[in-house]
Amino acid sequence: MSAAPVARPATAEPWKQISSTSRLRIALAILLPLALGVTAILLGLRFELALLFVFMPSQLIMGVIAGRGISGKRGQSDAILQVLVMFFGAAVFVLLISVVWSVIAQGWPAMSWQFFSQNNVYISSTTSLEYGGVGHAIIGTLLVVFLSTVVTVPLGVATAVYLTETRGKTRSVVRTLIQALSGLPSVVSGLFIYALFIASGITQYVGWAGSLALIPLMLPTVTRVAEESLILVPQELRNGALALGAPAWRAFAFVTLPAAKSGLLTAVLLGIARIIGETAPLLITTFAADSTNPNVFNGPIATLPTYLYQFAATGYETSIQRAWGAALVILLLVAVLFIAARVMTRTKSASKKGRK
Amino acid sequence: MSEIERERRNLRAKPFSKADRRFYRTATWAANSSIVLVSLILIFLGIRSWPAFQSQGVGFVFGSSWNTSVEPIVMQIGPMLWGSIQISLLGLLIAVPMAISIAYFIVFMANKTIGRIVTTLVDLLAALPSIVLGLWGLLVFSPVAEGWATMLNQALGFIPIFASNSGNLLRSPFIASWVVAVMIVPIIASVTREIFSQLDRELINASLALGAGRWSTFRMVIMPTSFGGIIGGILLAMGRALGETVAIFFVLNLVFDYNWFQILDAKGGSVASMILAKFGEASPAEVSGLMAAGVVLFVVTLVVNSIASYIVAKAQPWRR
Repeated sequence: MSAAPVARPATAEPWKQISSTSRLRIALAILLPLALGVTAILLGLRFELALLFVFMPSQLIMGVIAGRGISGKRGQSDAILQVLVMFFGAAVFVLLISVVWSVIAQGWPAMSWQFFSQNNVYISSTTSLEYGGVGHAIIGTLLVVFLSTVVTVPLGVATAVYLTETRGKTRSVVRTLIQALSGLPSVVSGLFIYALFIASGITQYVGWAGSLALIPLMLPTVTRVAEESLILVPQELRNGALALGAPAWRAFAFVTLPAAKSGLLTAVLLGIARIIGETAPLLITTFAADSTNPNVFNGPIATLPTYLYQFAATGYETSIQRAWGAALVILLLVAVLFIAARVMTRTKSASKKGRK
Repeated sequence: MSEIERERRNLRAKPFSKADRRFYRTATWAANSSIVLVSLILIFLGIRSWPAFQSQGVGFVFGSSWNTSVEPIVMQIGPMLWGSIQISLLGLLIAVPMAISIAYFIVFMANKTIGRIVTTLVDLLAALPSIVLGLWGLLVFSPVAEGWATMLNQALGFIPIFASNSGNLLRSPFIASWVVAVMIVPIIASVTREIFSQLDRELINASLALGAGRWSTFRMVIMPTSFGGIIGGILLAMGRALGETVAIFFVLNLVFDYNWFQILDAKGGSVASMILAKFGEASPAEVSGLMAAGVVLFVVTLVVNSIASYIVAKAQPWRR
């Protein structure tokens, strides 16, 4: 136990002590534009116009006045910077909330037990929502995504191992190519598999072709995140294991790998999140099916994105509702993955703190 | 530098045993397979698209008509390619201020808790699948944005950019670029946030101690040191925007006619969306043309991405 730290005197940070006039100025700079904006809306101005032409300018002006009053000339430009940052930042969240809220609100009416369990046989775009659902598409998505995960994760993690643990001569080439692959347009990936297997007559539309088309899209994400988490493992751990006489593979399997475990799991989850909503490559390779097809190696297979695409394209009211429902299901799947990834990274930092 | 630079010794673990050699070989094999993968993609697409390039010549990239009912068939993707570039650039114009603002807010304005919450939300935005964004763009955002476009057209219609020939403002590049912007904001924001948080705090404190305000610090200290990295992140996002398929397909009218600058007009193009739109009822010859379009798109994205990764690597020396 070291001696208790000496308490800081209250005057240690004079810049944090704001006089009451300045407080009043700040309060005015926040409240007045708000009041003006609300008045403009109440007077019948459109919301966006009120925001852009009443609230924003008055907020800027009031901010500049307040800033000038508090810290002179440089307060002006600071106020402008802060107002703009808050405004643009808020815009992002308006968009995010708009997307998430509309999916939840519009998708909710479609939710029911049979929507999760039934498939799309005998369902047209005008059939009422009491019949049919996305059961077949959920199974299809899980199967197709599972198959590409099984192939991609070992490949991606092994590539990350190559990049971090070995001194291979082609590391920079591999890194560049993986980087390049992350920019591969998804539709081109689908076309590649189409050219390779379907156009050449090897197979018809089939589930595994879709899985293959997703691999080039998933690989860069998995590799990059895995590489990042392997780099975070301190070099001393590896050297310690090697110095104790462990062969390289044991040092990796019993020291580096456990240390990077949560990061690698995050890599897997982020990779899955990247491909679970991919549509274009699946439309080109797996096509859509109405019936439940539990076999990825035979016949076309439906997935959630293609289901959504199919019903959004027709434009009837019930079909639109089905599309929103499918969107909500995709969002739920993504949310589960996302929360799982969060929980894993959190347990890691928590256990670190605990050990100290 | 207070610390004395120690000589870095090259600790090399030689693969003595068989198991070790197998371990290294597996890793090398996996890494090489990614090289094979990229070459396979290029070779096969190249082979399949070669007939289209051969029959169409240079006009394939720059010409502006696509007609498969005449003999010989005409396939030219000029307006689509321009449309892809136009939409990505407009999307960047919308997304960059938002993304940099968010990153600045997280790193320099928010306290730890709020910063973490905002980071999580930005990551959530990054995890939204593009087809969900497309559906939102089609059914929720398009009507709203059409209202904005109408207002812009009425107020500023005398400026050529906001003029409209057709009078139809739905399904325009303007709307598509907003949807793309929502998609790429989190990409730019996370790159920028990482760069901001890696900045030397001493540098910023020194600037503040010298009496500079937030703005001068931002302009004279933060921007010059992180500019390259941000540009790299922007190009990375542009690569993603260029390849976006379904979301744009939902909200854009694909027209085979150059629409240079009338961004509010319902007349645009996107190579990826065009491939998807035409793929359904394409003859083998046309499929070859679509593959050629895919090759052109991939090459453009590859160029943008290589520039991006080069700049990011140069601008972030702490990443090796």
